[in-house]
Amino acid sequence: MAVATEMMDKLKILAEGAKYDVSCSSSGSFRRNKDGIGNAASCGICHTWTSDGRCVSLLKVLMTNSCIFDCAYCVNRRSNDVQRVLLTPAEVAELTIGFYRRNYIEGLFLSTGVVRSPDYTMELLIEAVRTLREQYRFNGYIHLKLVPGADPLLVQQAGLLADRVSVNLELPTREGLALLAPDKSRDAVIGPMRQVNSLITINRAERKESRKVARFAPAGQSTQLIVGATKETDRQIVTLSEQLYQRMELKRVYYSAFIPVVADTRLPALPNSPLRREHRLYQADWLLRYYGFSAQELLDEERPNLETDLDPKTGWALRHLELFPVEINGADYEVLLRIPGIGVRSAQRIVRARRQGHLSMDDLAKLGVVLKRARYFITARGRYAGECAIDSTLLRSRLLETPAKKGAAQLELPFSRPQASDEAISLISGEL
Amino acid sequence: MSGVYRYDGSFSGLLTVMARLLPQRTVPDAIGIDPPQQQSLFCEAIDVATDERLVEQFWPELIARLTPGCLHRIRQVFLADYPERELLICRYLLLAWEKGRGVAGMLAHPQVAPLWKLAQQVGHEAHRYLGFVRFQEVNGGFYYSAIAPDHRILPLIASHFAARFSDQQWVIHDQNHGEGIVYDLRQRHWLLLPMERHAKPDLTPDEEHFQQLWRSYFTTLAIDERQNLRLQQGKVPLKVRPWLVEFG
Ligand code: SF4
Repeated sequence: MAVATEMMDKLKILAEGAKYDVSCSSSGSFRRNKDGIGNAASCGICHTWTSDGRCVSLLKVLMTNSCIFDCAYCVNRRSNDVQRVLLTPAEVAELTIGFYRRNYIEGLFLSTGVVRSPDYTMELLIEAVRTLREQYRFNGYIHLKLVPGADPLLVQQAGLLADRVSVNLELPTREGLALLAPDKSRDAVIGPMRQVNSLITINRAERKESRKVARFAPAGQSTQLIVGATKETDRQIVTLSEQLYQRMELKRVYYSAFIPVVADTRLPALPNSPLRREHRLYQADWLLRYYGFSAQELLDEERPNLETDLDPKTGWALRHLELFPVEINGADYEVLLRIPGIGVRSAQRIVRARRQGHLSMDDLAKLGVVLKRARYFITARGRYAGECAIDSTLLRSRLLETPAKKGAAQLELPFSRPQASDEAISLISGEL
Repeated sequence: MSGVYRYDGSFSGLLTVMARLLPQRTVPDAIGIDPPQQQSLFCEAIDVATDERLVEQFWPELIARLTPGCLHRIRQVFLADYPERELLICRYLLLAWEKGRGVAGMLAHPQVAPLWKLAQQVGHEAHRYLGFVRFQEVNGGFYYSAIAPDHRILPLIASHFAARFSDQQWVIHDQNHGEGIVYDLRQRHWLLLPMERHAKPDLTPDEEHFQQLWRSYFTTLAIDERQNLRLQQGKVPLKVRPWLVEFG
């Protein structure tokens, strides 16, 4: 029994340390179960939701909360006086399997503080994952954190065992990093990221030649940015993300509104509505990845920050009224996607349904297209259904979002939406 | 020819009814296992016996006229716990017989929209239960899960769990509809069987331990500054919580 409570305490502390890491996706990988346990479904599956509305699909835990580094924003930093605990690789594996067999989780997300050295820490993580894959024949989803500064050989081993790997960028600029995470250099973070990107590319080519080649990080890599702890503008952040998607082929960039968990003079007091800003960034990110927008279109030097009371697509449309209204029966798919309020799924439905005949406003409603914002920007069979004309000065005020009753904390978090079929269309985080 | 039709509740049974009705191009007043009688005293329910041979002949015609996606919707609607599900299918097929495979896109048509909506509800619920099933380790060496879904989703989720948990013996018990899937580890296949509506499993000591760990882990995860119980309730409706360890 003593063992059981000890385990309980450790798990509590180590889950506490990992819970701010926002990445939750378990999608994008496909692993078949051969004579073992588990598989990775290519669409994510949420298993439950916490009282803050975030979905739980992975056992998200730190291997240890000990750390030799001293990052200003982190509870686990060396100079913070907290109880330190460590799970052995065998314990991590046992816990994962016990939870998985009961269908509590979709897989494991393993992160850690840095003990002894980046290499030593990386070896511990790899041993846990190796135990799962080889001893338990576990084929479920595994997301492994790479420790900044770890040896390239270890990075490679990690990618061969995990479905997804990630190094957290944490702060959008070199200066921010130097200020708040003095032990981590930008290069120690970017180095592994670059290496993983090239290994994925090579692996893809090799697997074209022969299916026997083992997969390397089949679900790609992601990263996380803390927003609001330093002074970067949204423009800097969105442009950085665009580059990460284009140059490093990242699968996801996660944004985490800064929440002070430790006192430090280098940190700002809690900024105004950080969650709303986070939400807008996810929406902008969504526009980059699935709607064909560029960072430049969304933000420029004159307007370096996203509007808080309008979603970025509506904001863009209001600056480009000359392109609207769009006739729903004639517009190309790419144009449909640019209509405020019309998401990927609605656009696909419209394209499909109109092959069978011209759609009216009523038809749109029947298709499940939400017309609340869209009606101001479209015509259907030539008919316009906005309550005020598109060139009216009223339009903007009609489109403003009334803030949720209890303030920004009530905002729906972007990663809490269901992942019904395909991540591309249904992790609806920013679907606009 | 309208009328009231009774069949045995199997999918083949329904297809038998359809194979007989479709050539006549009419929608009956009711189809069901226990269909409601019409006002007229003289209107008797017509019993249609399942005819596997007829279904075999009908099947190629069905797949010629429907896309695989549409067939899947029909199967989903068949599993819906909804009194007029057979009529929805009947109306939909009638339209497919008129218009051919084009029906796949006629999402706003009154004979299509309600079927799509119901199919979506069933599909959505099935997907949610991929996450909401909670196995408990039971003495005797198997894992047991009780659920109470609105629709009869077991056939839609069975293969997912069979592929995933192929090295453990398990049962998923739908207490709402009195049926369950039993996975046979040795034969490596699953069966849908009728089951009592209640069961009291005899848990292993390990089970209690893991449930406690999971509960405490789950509570730790929440970020207090972001509490949003309304959102949580939208995602995990109260009615499913009795079956979820973490809400126990
Ligand atoms: S290296 Fe990671 S765990 Fe260590 S102090 Fe920095 S952020 Fe925290």
